[in-house]
Amino acid sequence: MNSSILRSTIILGLTAFVATFALSHIKAITYPVIQKQERQKTESALAQVLPGYTVGEERSSTAGAGSFTYWTASKTDGAATLTAYAFIAEKAGYSGVIRTMVGVDDKGTVLGISIIRQSETPGLGARVLEAASRNTFFQVVTGRARRGGEEPAPWFQEQFRGLNAGTKIEIVKKGDWNEAMREELLQKNSVSAITGATITTKAVKDGIEEGMARLKTALEEHAKAEEAAAK
Amino acid sequence: MNYYREFAKGIWEKNPILILGIGMCPTLAVSTSVSNALWMTLAATFVLIFSNIIVSLVKSVVPSHIRIPIFIAIIATFVIIVELTLKAFQPDIYKSLGIFIPLIVVNCIILGRAEEFASKNTVLPSILDGLGMGVGFGLTLTVLAFFREILGSNRLFGYTLIPGMEPATIMTLAPGAFFTLAMMLWGMNAMKSRKGR
Repeated sequence: MNSSILRSTIILGLTAFVATFALSHIKAITYPVIQKQERQKTESALAQVLPGYTVGEERSSTAGAGSFTYWTASKTDGAATLTAYAFIAEKAGYSGVIRTMVGVDDKGTVLGISIIRQSETPGLGARVLEAASRNTFFQVVTGRARRGGEEPAPWFQEQFRGLNAGTKIEIVKKGDWNEAMREELLQKNSVSAITGATITTKAVKDGIEEGMARLKTALEEHAKAEEAAAK
Repeated sequence: MNYYREFAKGIWEKNPILILGIGMCPTLAVSTSVSNALWMTLAATFVLIFSNIIVSLVKSVVPSHIRIPIFIAIIATFVIIVELTLKAFQPDIYKSLGIFIPLIVVNCIILGRAEEFASKNTVLPSILDGLGMGVGFGLTLTVLAFFREILGSNRLFGYTLIPGMEPATIMTLAPGAFFTLAMMLWGMNAMKSRKGR
């Protein structure tokens, strides 16, 4: 009996060792690639949410619970210099945290959003990333598909552009968003929910509202700190 | 041993989903679009074949009372390999399958085949068994996804099918999966009972 316990322990330990050995090597190979992609993702997300702006410095703040990262950006428009900010909003969705990069100008108008991490249900909540296809199946099969050009932005994220993040954003149920709905929804400061994924929609919206509030606090704190340093 | 039979049984006679009734969770969850179904099949089949190989190799040294934790460790290792590889080289696919990649660990097809087949057979039949089960799983998943994608989101392979038509969203939700699966089971049983008569 004792020898059987010893034997089982050794075999289990050996299995764990071999598994760890193999995985540590796989991780060593894939880690730099994953890191590089994460960095690229952040950079391309910044470019997407702050179109035309030059990104300044990255700051983090401890305003509120947890850490909060934001970026400053500027753009010259004629004689005036426009300032804008980008921040990362996090909010628990239907399955896991949804991380959204949000670009806003100094008045709190959303310049663009980009969802950088989500683990929502495929086919439902994960449709936050889905772009409306420009081609129909028939066009692809018959070889008349339009190729090249810019990939369309996911409609869910596109509809946030122009909304005021400083006030409450409403959710309406109008099905998939399209360009024709933009004016009407902008007037109501609202977005159209993804069918069957209202929780996901609400998480993104709440994340943006909370992030905006934290950005305000963080900016005030930063201004105070600079003032104190100048004295 | 008839090698062809070991491969082919997974497709029809012992189809993991339609006959054995295992692996339902990923089946119902990721069969919303054909491309999700195909990538899921690829990932699960990879894990299935390699865990079958390792299990059939180590079966004689593993004491039977600790076989389950060992099988799970082997399966989990391959799942993490798949997860990291997809994350590094196919980030878009990784993004759209999300949580269902790590959940391959608890796909009972894989543990089921390790326990029922690979732990009692040699390497070559185990590879064929894994491949056959993977193909059977994949075919069922793809057929399910084909109908659900057409009816539920008015698309096929991600392309719009009928421009301007409002799809029946219920088909992308859980009930749609159950309806479609029930139809497939009905069809399969009808065919079998006709053959048997």
